[in-house]
Amino acid sequence: MATHDLELVNIHKSYGAVTVLQAINLRVQAGEFIAIMGPSGCGKTTLLRVIAGLEGVSGGRVLLQGQDITALPVNRRNTPLVWQSFALFPHLNVRQNIAFGLTLTGFARPEIERRVGEMAVMLNLESLLERRISQLSGGQKQRVAIARSLVTKPNILLLDEPMSALDPHLRVRMQGELKRLQQTLGISFFYVTHNQNEAFSMADRVVVMNQGRIEQIGSPAEIYNAPASHFVAEFVGNNNLFDGEVVANDGQTIQIRCPQGLIRATVRQRSHPVGDRVTVVVPADRLAIAAGGAADNRLQATLRAKEFIGSQVIYFLETPTGHEVKLIQQQSFGDSMQVPVNTELELVWQLENTILLGERSLDP
Amino acid sequence: MANSTVKPTKAPNDASWLGALCLAPAVIYDTLLFLLPLIFLVWIGFWTVDNYVMVPGFSLANYSDIFQQFFSRSRYGFAMGQSLWVSATTTLLAVVLCYPFAMALAFRVPARWQRLGILLAIAPFWSSYILRLYAWQTLLNQEGLINSLLLQVGLIQAPMEIVFTQTGTRIGLLHYLAPIMILILYLALKNIDTTLLGAAQNLGANRWQVFWRVILPLTRPGVVYSAVFAMIISLGDVLSGIILGGGTGRSVFGSLPLFSTMILNEYAASTNLPRTAALATLLIVIMVLVLLVGNQFSHTES
Repeated sequence: MATHDLELVNIHKSYGAVTVLQAINLRVQAGEFIAIMGPSGCGKTTLLRVIAGLEGVSGGRVLLQGQDITALPVNRRNTPLVWQSFALFPHLNVRQNIAFGLTLTGFARPEIERRVGEMAVMLNLESLLERRISQLSGGQKQRVAIARSLVTKPNILLLDEPMSALDPHLRVRMQGELKRLQQTLGISFFYVTHNQNEAFSMADRVVVMNQGRIEQIGSPAEIYNAPASHFVAEFVGNNNLFDGEVVANDGQTIQIRCPQGLIRATVRQRSHPVGDRVTVVVPADRLAIAAGGAADNRLQATLRAKEFIGSQVIYFLETPTGHEVKLIQQQSFGDSMQVPVNTELELVWQLENTILLGERSLDP
Repeated sequence: MANSTVKPTKAPNDASWLGALCLAPAVIYDTLLFLLPLIFLVWIGFWTVDNYVMVPGFSLANYSDIFQQFFSRSRYGFAMGQSLWVSATTTLLAVVLCYPFAMALAFRVPARWQRLGILLAIAPFWSSYILRLYAWQTLLNQEGLINSLLLQVGLIQAPMEIVFTQTGTRIGLLHYLAPIMILILYLALKNIDTTLLGAAQNLGANRWQVFWRVILPLTRPGVVYSAVFAMIISLGDVLSGIILGGGTGRSVFGSLPLFSTMILNEYAASTNLPRTAALATLLIVIMVLVLLVGNQFSHTES
């Protein structure tokens, strides 16, 4: 019994001297929603195309339900892909687009009709079946693209930034629908995105990629609360990073000397001996402006700029050492504070909000 | 009206006069040198001849005369059949030969070589059509290069008769049509979003299915319009039929010229210009019909 829907074993891929994927190892459990996240050019789309067979590999193996499909041609893999541009056939109507995969392999007409009808119900496309593709909205096109991919009953569905062509309000609604669809079908979704909100709101596990390598694999909470590398800490969320050296460790609390000042953190899994060089991560939304009282960590900084994003306001501050620090507050709270630019402030945060990053393990 | 104070305004940077100005030369040129002569030609078709002098008027005498002997003495009908047959087969051959070439150029040749490929494909257009036909005659005749080579190699025992046959006519036409057909088909193929080909494969289509289900349907307008173009050019052409086809090609109906050649012969030999004009009008009607039929089949969406 194959318990893994998909297994990637040491995948390498290079074009001449340019390496685009290296040492990719990943197991996708049956029925798992995996999000591949990373900046553009990190190799996430290439990885998707490798799984679909649209690109070959320079090394490694792709296993689908335990079967090695590395050498199998694209058209015999049944790893349908929902394309970023949807790639619907403009010369066919909605019904014909959905039926496309079935008409290739000689299904009987009643069976094709039945399955297309089933998909239309599932994705709420019944009233659109006779429409031409040019008559559809972005959201409708996406639902057709998904229906077209699911009609052959695959075990895994590949999605390449399917939300990027949609309006922001539609995006949020589709995230919920997509997650529900995945749970109803019980198949694996392999979802490529550069958008952190999409990845975190839908995925069971998130894979963060950078420069052709996997930086971290973990649940959204793990990635958010315990970034494994500099890159992840910078890419995910709004984090402040401080480099420093451990100067004291009593088994419960560590003290780290950074150019910006002394920072204190709780000891978690890893013990950090005195003299260890570490990076400290403090999420911007866990910092607060000191309002008197005790605090585990304090930092002096001058407010340089403010930026309003929806209900939140981001403060950009500068420490006396010239380092930038970001702080995020709810706007209603920020309004009452009305801090003018160039005010010197004291920032505080709790001990447990200091995250320690082992020095980047993937550095050469 | 309650809202009569609101005056409709044009977009501030509306420059429709500029569009009209750009179109003017083409409209004037076409009207003076194409449309007016065409109307004149059709009009003359209704005149009559009395004692070697044309008499303006409106008479259907020319047409009734033509249709009375359509399948008999002068065999206009057979010549028309011959023309349609040669044009249709040439068109089919041209599409079948040019499509794979355009496809290889669009999908297989690296992008930086494609311009050169197109340039080479349309290069024959820079030389005179008549010159090319005589060159083919020299190559293809009984003592020509191709026959001598094949005889030498032993592939044939006797020289092939190509010049002064319908095959000769087709070769001349093909060489004339190919550059433009390749260009039209190439542009149609380049217009295809290649992710659609990947999407078809991803859904389980093999190479043939990708071609028949996606590539060909998406290039349908290009195929139809290039075929209409080839058909109309072939129907109207006389040079290939005379120089390579020998004027009267052999056919199932016996030795018979193409309809276009017949019009030319009539024009040269007869003194009845109105009747020649009526024959030419018939050919134009056929061409318009080809265009209309083509238009019906040129839609991509089913």
